[in-house]
Amino acid sequence: MEFTREIYWNVGHGAWTLVPMYLFALVAIGLLVRGFLQRIAVYKQGLPLNRTDRMGRRIRYMLQNVLLQTKVAEVPWPGLLHGLFFWGFALLFIGTTLIVIQADFTDLLFDVKFLTGSFYKLFSITLDIAGLVCIAMLGGLLVRRYFFAPEGLPTKNDDAIMHGLLLIILVTGFIIEGCRIAVTELGTPLAIWSPVGLVMAKFLSGMGEGGLLAMHKVTWWFHLSLVMTFFILIPLTKFRHIFTTSSNYLFADLGPKNKLVNIDLENEEADTFGANNIKQMTWKDIFDADACTLCKRCQDRCPAWNTDKPLSPMKVVVQLGEVAFANQDANLIDTIGRDVLWACTTCRACQEICPAKIEHIGKIIEIRRSLVLMEGEFPGDEVMTAMEATEVNGNPLGIGYAERGDWAVDLGIKTLSEDADVDVLYFVGCYASFDKRNIAVAKSFIKLCQAAGVKVGILGKEEKCCGEPMRKMGNEYLYQSVAVENIEVMKSYGVKKVVTTCPHCYNTLEKDFRDLGFEVPVESYTVFLGELIRTGKLRIDARELSCTYHDSCYLGRHNDIYEAPRGLIEAAGGKLVEMDKNRSEAFCCSAGGGRIMAEEKIGERINVKRVKMAVATGAETLLSNCPFCLTMFEDGVKGAGVEESLRPKDIAEILAERIH
Amino acid sequence: MKILVCIKQVPDMESKFKIDAAGTWYAKTDLAWRMNEYDEYAVEQAVQLKEQVKDADVTVLCIGSDQVKETMKKALAMGCDRGAHIADDNAGAKEPFQIAGIIAEYARDKNFDIVFTGLQSQDRGSAQVGILVAEMLGLPSVSTVVHFTYAEGTIEAKRELEGGVKACVKVQAPAVITCQLGLNTPRYPTLPNIMKAKKKELLSIPVQDLLKVDARQETAKMYFPEKKGGGLVLEGDVAELADKLIRILKEKTAVLA
Repeated sequence: MEFTREIYWNVGHGAWTLVPMYLFALVAIGLLVRGFLQRIAVYKQGLPLNRTDRMGRRIRYMLQNVLLQTKVAEVPWPGLLHGLFFWGFALLFIGTTLIVIQADFTDLLFDVKFLTGSFYKLFSITLDIAGLVCIAMLGGLLVRRYFFAPEGLPTKNDDAIMHGLLLIILVTGFIIEGCRIAVTELGTPLAIWSPVGLVMAKFLSGMGEGGLLAMHKVTWWFHLSLVMTFFILIPLTKFRHIFTTSSNYLFADLGPKNKLVNIDLENEEADTFGANNIKQMTWKDIFDADACTLCKRCQDRCPAWNTDKPLSPMKVVVQLGEVAFANQDANLIDTIGRDVLWACTTCRACQEICPAKIEHIGKIIEIRRSLVLMEGEFPGDEVMTAMEATEVNGNPLGIGYAERGDWAVDLGIKTLSEDADVDVLYFVGCYASFDKRNIAVAKSFIKLCQAAGVKVGILGKEEKCCGEPMRKMGNEYLYQSVAVENIEVMKSYGVKKVVTTCPHCYNTLEKDFRDLGFEVPVESYTVFLGELIRTGKLRIDARELSCTYHDSCYLGRHNDIYEAPRGLIEAAGGKLVEMDKNRSEAFCCSAGGGRIMAEEKIGERINVKRVKMAVATGAETLLSNCPFCLTMFEDGVKGAGVEESLRPKDIAEILAERIH
Repeated sequence: MKILVCIKQVPDMESKFKIDAAGTWYAKTDLAWRMNEYDEYAVEQAVQLKEQVKDADVTVLCIGSDQVKETMKKALAMGCDRGAHIADDNAGAKEPFQIAGIIAEYARDKNFDIVFTGLQSQDRGSAQVGILVAEMLGLPSVSTVVHFTYAEGTIEAKRELEGGVKACVKVQAPAVITCQLGLNTPRYPTLPNIMKAKKKELLSIPVQDLLKVDARQETAKMYFPEKKGGGLVLEGDVAELADKLIRILKEKTAVLA
């Protein structure tokens, strides 16, 4: 016998079937297109932003994430269920498309049938299994959402519609198949190539042929109506993520990661800065809201949310969408709320995990810019004092600028004003210059450089704050003024290479300064020292150390430097016990995003929470690579009452203690 | 309404101070400069009053070299309308009577309704200028003001006295007000206002046009207080600390004898 089946069996292939079916399809697709055109008009309220450059790379990235479900699968269980459902559904979509192509085009016009023989057997069994997998995965997701809902997972009408509609579409598909097989294939060798359909056929076969034919016809039209309803509902429900989330991969920020947009301060026409109205955000900021699937992976990882602060990155994105679609004149600061906006530490945990590639941090900073630049507002008087201190003395600590290089006076290193002929410029940063605890780190770094025979210089009182905390707080004006002064000084000395012990300085010099004409290569000390050890210039005597390691947000997620610091710890003889939340999942110390200048007034203290995670490893030393982290942990061990059992240290310190 | 607010540019108090070559004032090297703290309250109060009465013009006055214009720009960014820069490269050497004389000379024919000054400067700290200006102009003055209201020509102010006591004072404008910590929280200038400030009028007047009075006092000598005793902070390992402490107690005291 020939292995194939009659398409449009029982429903007929005449005008009475085709005309209403195609009319219905046309209307459904028309409504789908109209729905998206209406949404596109809403996106277009936003400011322009070029996200269509480097299209080759963009398309590759989109295909990788849509077809392989890479980002989605980063959270294993729901990710796997979604992935399998997606692949199953994609196969069903392709299968149905092949049927349409054969029945209404190749066969109708050219008498060509390709759904025959072995290909038909493969086709049949593939679609059967795909349908079964889809039902199983959808069932799993349904049970997870409705019976074992993870904390904080928002469930709305959309979710009920999506689960219900898809489930009924899949089940009716098998009923149609079962009816057909019961009448035409039972007892033939073809039947086993539709195993699910076969089971369904055996279940239904008692109805008798008349009943089966009637049931088949009714279910066929019902199934068709549901599929058309599905198309119509795509732009109107969370189904839209099929298009919007996929497109968001295409429009993703290709990096450098989280580089902020420079405000043009020379533009005398500009009378507003930052965003307090949805029309002052970009189209992508609005689009992001449409790409969000409310999976709350961002919220799960947000250090603010996890310490009872009102910030949920997901909620901010959703609120921007609500404003863009329904309340365009709303004041964004009031809608989202000041406490929410100030709570962000820009740790990037939200963006790193987001399976829809939504960019949360830029939005929050854009609104903070409006708060600072247009309203002169800060999260507290202490922050305003730190800003003013930076204006006057070039550091947020308010210490006289002339003392900036005093820590290095007896170390045998010179400032570039004394001797500019150096291998590297050490950009010290404010904390390592002025804060007693962090001066120890700076001294350790110098000791290591000297042991390796590297000639290192500093700027001394000519160095200023890199401006990172100010910029992240929204004070673009102050950031640019200190940045420009730093850049001019470094240019005047013909600096060839810069090394930093502060990941915030590193990130700022390496990314932000580039927009202001700074071209000198910049390295984190972890990478720099790693290279000195690798080339044998720096010799370290390994000595055992019980430790855990905290990935700072700005070395880790913001710059993907995870292994270099671990290499240094290994070289020092550190027995590293990782915390549960490490590398890209590391939990912030609380001091990013300019929060180092602010008091933490709401909820549990983030640094204490992180210190407790370190305590849980049983390690004696908590290593980090960042002056802000070190400061927060020195405070955190006291808060957690573990200052006797857990010592916070910088990696540079344990290396300096082990110089050969 | 015409408002005058007088400000001074002073070194940041966190700076490393050194005595200058003449030995009568601090050296100007390695200093960071800013607006005198009390003058910030004066500027803020002037701008708040302007915002209250709407129809007002605020002039900010500052005496000093070209360098003080930076500080004046901050006052303009905070909301003052125009700047009067009294160009004087040797302002630091002038005593309060001369400074007040310059300000009074400038203000004499301009019919200011209210003059705001800081209570005192952070560097010289004489607390005389505002009150002398009032005397020279024949105006009433209210000093050490921590609360200020204005309605239809009447000023009601609270003055801070010793021991937390406050005095309520009522005075008719024109008057001179000297501002104390606690009066208000000076605003952080917004970026559009910083930009606008760059275009505001900022005229320089040579100091000799306005200096009509002679000095009545001079600074004989400036010096750091002699170090007497003071505290000693010991740091380091606990065992070493104990040894150090015992050594000190033996050498310097009789408690262990």
